Amino acid sequence: MSSPGSTDVGRSLAVHMTVNGRPITRVAGAHFTLLRWLRDVAGVTDPKYGCGEGICGSCTVLVDGAAVSSCLVLAAQVDGAEVATASGLCEPDGSLGPLQRAFHEHHAAQCGFCTPGMLMAAAAMLADGRPRSRAEIRSELHGNLCRCTGYGPIVDAVEAAQRAVRAASGPTGPTASAEAAR
Amino acid sequence: MFTRPFRYERAERLAEASDLLRRYGEDAKVIAGGQSLMPLINLGLAAPHVVIDISRADQDGGPRTIGSDNGYLTIGTLVTHSRLAADQVAARMQPLLGAAAARIGNSRVRNRGTLGGSLAHSDPAAELPLAMVALGAEYEVSNGEQARYIRAEEFHLGFLTTPLEADELIISARVPSLGPGWGWAFQEFSRRDGDFALAAAAALVRSSGGAIVESRVAVGGVNDRPVRLADIEIALTGATTEEAADRFGAIRGIDPVSDTGASAAYRAHLAQVLVKRTVIEACQRSEAAHV
Amino acid sequence: MTGAERAGIRTSKPDELRVVRQPLPRHDQAEKIAGSTRYAADLALAHMLHARLVRSPVPSAKVTRRDATEALAVPGVVAVLFGEDVPHNLIRVDVPGQAVEVAALKASMEVLATDRVRFHGEPVALVVAETEDALAEACDLVEIDYADLPAVFEPAEALQVGAPAVHDQGNMLSEWNIDTGDIDAAFATAEVVVEGSYQTQAVDHAYLEPEAGVGWLDDEGVLNLRVATQVVEHYRDVARILGIPEARVRVTAPYVGGGFGGKEDMTVEPYVAMAVWRTRRPVRMQWTRQESLLARPKRHRMRMEYRTAARADGTILGQDIQITADAGAYAHLSALVLLYSSVHACGPYKTGAVRLRARCAYTNNPPTSAFRGFGGMQVVFGYESQMDVLARRLGLSAAEIRKQNALSRGDVLPVGQPIETEVQLAETIDAVVSRAGPKPPPSGPRKVTGRGIASNMQSYGRLTWLNDSAAAWVGFQLDGSLSVRCGVPDIGGGQASSLAQIASEVLAIPMEAITVHFGDSALTPLAGTTTATRQLLMSGNAVYEASMQLREQILCAVGAKTERSAESLRLEPGRIVGGGVDVSLGDALLTCRRANVPIEALRTYFGPKGTPVIRELRAERVFPDFTFGTHLCDLEVDLDTGQVTVLRYIAAHDVGRAINPQSVAGQISGGAVQGLGMALLEEVVVEEGLNMTSGFFQYMIPTATDVPDIEAVVLESGEGMGPFGARGIGEPSIGPPVAAVASAIHDALGSRPTVLPITPERVLACASGLTSRGPALPDGLISVDIRRPTFERLSAACAYRMIASRSFSHARCSSTLSRKCASADRASGWPGRHDRPLRDVSTDDRLLRSAESGRASPAPVRNPGG
Repeated sequence: MSSPGSTDVGRSLAVHMTVNGRPITRVAGAHFTLLRWLRDVAGVTDPKYGCGEGICGSCTVLVDGAAVSSCLVLAAQVDGAEVATASGLCEPDGSLGPLQRAFHEHHAAQCGFCTPGMLMAAAAMLADGRPRSRAEIRSELHGNLCRCTGYGPIVDAVEAAQRAVRAASGPTGPTASAEAAR
Repeated sequence: MFTRPFRYERAERLAEASDLLRRYGEDAKVIAGGQSLMPLINLGLAAPHVVIDISRADQDGGPRTIGSDNGYLTIGTLVTHSRLAADQVAARMQPLLGAAAARIGNSRVRNRGTLGGSLAHSDPAAELPLAMVALGAEYEVSNGEQARYIRAEEFHLGFLTTPLEADELIISARVPSLGPGWGWAFQEFSRRDGDFALAAAAALVRSSGGAIVESRVAVGGVNDRPVRLADIEIALTGATTEEAADRFGAIRGIDPVSDTGASAAYRAHLAQVLVKRTVIEACQRSEAAHV
Repeated sequence: MTGAERAGIRTSKPDELRVVRQPLPRHDQAEKIAGSTRYAADLALAHMLHARLVRSPVPSAKVTRRDATEALAVPGVVAVLFGEDVPHNLIRVDVPGQAVEVAALKASMEVLATDRVRFHGEPVALVVAETEDALAEACDLVEIDYADLPAVFEPAEALQVGAPAVHDQGNMLSEWNIDTGDIDAAFATAEVVVEGSYQTQAVDHAYLEPEAGVGWLDDEGVLNLRVATQVVEHYRDVARILGIPEARVRVTAPYVGGGFGGKEDMTVEPYVAMAVWRTRRPVRMQWTRQESLLARPKRHRMRMEYRTAARADGTILGQDIQITADAGAYAHLSALVLLYSSVHACGPYKTGAVRLRARCAYTNNPPTSAFRGFGGMQVVFGYESQMDVLARRLGLSAAEIRKQNALSRGDVLPVGQPIETEVQLAETIDAVVSRAGPKPPPSGPRKVTGRGIASNMQSYGRLTWLNDSAAAWVGFQLDGSLSVRCGVPDIGGGQASSLAQIASEVLAIPMEAITVHFGDSALTPLAGTTTATRQLLMSGNAVYEASMQLREQILCAVGAKTERSAESLRLEPGRIVGGGVDVSLGDALLTCRRANVPIEALRTYFGPKGTPVIRELRAERVFPDFTFGTHLCDLEVDLDTGQVTVLRYIAAHDVGRAINPQSVAGQISGGAVQGLGMALLEEVVVEEGLNMTSGFFQYMIPTATDVPDIEAVVLESGEGMGPFGARGIGEPSIGPPVAAVASAIHDALGSRPTVLPITPERVLACASGLTSRGPALPDGLISVDIRRPTFERLSAACAYRMIASRSFSHARCSSTLSRKCASADRASGWPGRHDRPLRDVSTDDRLLRSAESGRASPAPVRNPGG
């Protein structure tokens, strides 16, 4: 096997993504997962490595609006895509966005390691504007593991964020919902 | 974490992927959704030299469409599980399929995982192979030069084993639609939501005048492939919904394994329970369809 | 002095507290939610190298050959280290975080195994490379040959004469005995005797953050380690291993992504240190989840035999208890864990006479060590199951029998420690029962519901004879903002935030004006381990005392300047007032400076002292104090599948004083869910020494749909030993769930599970008792053998190897891939038959079938009784 990091054509390539609104182009190994590309190449460290099996959800990011396990996607596969991570939910001045505020107020983070993934799973849920019951929220979060909180506070936070989105949506409907869900 | 360097090739068309498979031979693996291949690569248990990405092939073409053709539901190989689960055409024509797709893994798996990937992988506990066998579907398979059709029952040969040649890909699946008077059910059991199913069952029943006229029953997760339970189908003929559960004894033709999830005996027991539950549910749907 | 008395700041009027008892969002939370917190693996340094361990794939063997030649030939590989490269190749545990050695409890393990490996996953080589890609390739190529040695996997077998010796000094690691009162008389006069045999399984911490750390040499040449840890004091161990002065090693702890005791022993520290020390470059090490599940120390598997003697009115006369625990291949903290089990073994009850024999044996299973509850947790399954069975036998309710026997102030524990605090056990029982209301009905046919309660006591604070201490420094900045420096690592339980809250309360400084610097062995006063539910007691009291001292200094200085007594003055936010004086904080600080009065204070808080214990456990004071609680569980059982759905869960604990009520509720909720995981889902499955559950797809922890909302009920007696009368709450809530669930199933099915985890199969076995008088079970219900049958060879690695050998479009196995998989198996320690190449699909299928059909009847017992 030739040396890793060689510039053998096809083994490393330039990948371009818009991450949290910021365009980033980097050359990296073709075998880099989206998680590794984000963390080690683009310097976006809020998605976490938790298992590499796509089960724990700590690496959850949104690719073109859909929640994916970034440890199971090759960066090359999403070349040109829009990627959203938890740090992108913040306001431009760095303060917490509405969904994050809901997490903060409801004590939905203890060690905080699962939180970026939980936030993106919640963001994906809120984006369609459809209100969900606590049971449905739990069901859609079942793919994100947490070992500290017991999940209750996280469900509280998503419920609260959901209420805030509905209050904000008003007559302008889904557009405002998606905005508020950011 | 063990991802090893490999060469990345992107196929713009599925036929191109077959070309690439012929060129690279055994050193290449096809990736679509990546939900089965990537865990293997991450755990260091698969190390292809070349990865052929078909996830963006045929952006406007057949591999991504769900349609109907002469009473059959056709689904392209690159349709994701989340799309299949939500699709209105599929729900109308063959609701069992979407119900099966909705049970796959978690939402992230469903957002990336594809029909073709799941079928070609042929995991014995997977939902779609089971549904396809129960439904009597067939798959269109091609190497870019020639296409052939393989029935689901003859495709899922064993543990992760299919008759695909080295350069062949699944192109689409052709699924019979749910006819008038038919009821359906799909149930699976796992320790937690989204885990690999310990056992799963799919049943379709057509009843008339309160009695079962014909049925199709299959189980998954209790053998190295989905198993069609022909003797149970025969035993059910003529039964009412109330009688159905008592019409058959122990399921034959299954060979479950014991592992850290459950023992073989328990899997066999679950299969029994799930077959009964799905048959009853399908009967109830069939009766409702008559009303 | 009770906790209330020493609290000082008017705990008789808790409503006067400004900040304490307020559910303030913790100051660390905002950064975590913003995604900006940098955990151990989030730090990258220029010219950083990467390191990984090569681990043993077998549980017991001589290491016959080690060759790094091929690995070193991989471009980008900088070093491959073996045990001989480590200056002092020993990880020795005396007592982590303390300077006092306790002779009976030394335990040792090699940093890198040299001539012998004792468990599946033991580290043998350390590879260091420029890139993670080079690292992965090189790890595959390190050649290590093993010659199998005899092995033993059951503690009971290990303790028999002639068993293979895991260590030269024999397999008995530790034993503790308690003899109190006349046990024979108790059983002779008993009107009822209940016997029970209970087994708990090994479980994994499964924190979401796998072990990781970064090391570097700073400008002074000091070795810095920034690692996910619960103990910064490991700098001493690292220094000893490298043979350098302790003052030349510094450990800092970032926010940790979950600890639960799994990051209490060293994880990456010695390896990162070795790599940095050899290469003189920064090094990062990130363990994989699979590595973590494979080889990190687990919770002790225990078998407990209880005999309980009682009168017909329910009064317990005596307990005769035997505990056998599996220490795995290395001792780590096993002896202490067993000690905790022994002290807690009778639960929060007056017990009369006690005879306890507890033993812990070495085996070739994965090592076991600290895990939330630390031995006090497993015995809950024993003593609460006994209470439940006793109650049923005597026709008493679960609540009645517990209240009747509950400890109260003045009672003495079997070990000899008097209870000096108020025990609100009855109140916690009433709280959960009254909140629960009537038991819910089943949701359909073929379903039954059940309710169970379980109480527990769990110590907080470390063993008294460990001379525990914690130090903290509190100091004002000139602008009136406050700095707190304390060595406490924050593992997610709000450890650092609580200190800010305490300082804020005493000094009337708003939380936003307080900065806590924590977890730095060189720059923050050492506060000991974040374990044993001790930090609120220890560092909390240290900060409390330092803050009180600082307050005193300021009030005295202002008093001297204004000719008032210090007692007539008090601190209000931003001001010093009283006796006609009204001075701004800024002016007060100036006054101090001019008078040469320090505007900072450093205090060490010393935990209660006790005499060292010996094997015959008898001590006046073993632990500083205990936390008491009761949980209630309502669940539903599906009679066809055995699936258990937890419908409702209520957890009540007396926490003394809730410094931050949201934090307290969060700890209770998280602990209860972790306990439910142990009750229903989790098990580290080890077959012939091979760990079969080293992936998250096999090791199942609770998800959001496996548990309901945990209703936390917080009682505040004000009688804890922590600041403001607080008790520790980090560990207590993990104890009761296993017993509450077992009792609820007993209620539902008339038969109780005695082996954990309570899988659907075991539930069906309990349900089969319903056949004669309950709903008919379906035809074809196989007589479910609750003894776990021997597992098919289709372990994870085998399964995946099969997958790898058949790509999506190949029908035949690739021999290249199978070779690679086989070598990957060897290198990474996955179980499998490395000598058998997978060449023929049909051969593989035949092998599977032959293994399956070879079992004509239920297989022999693999786990004891389980």
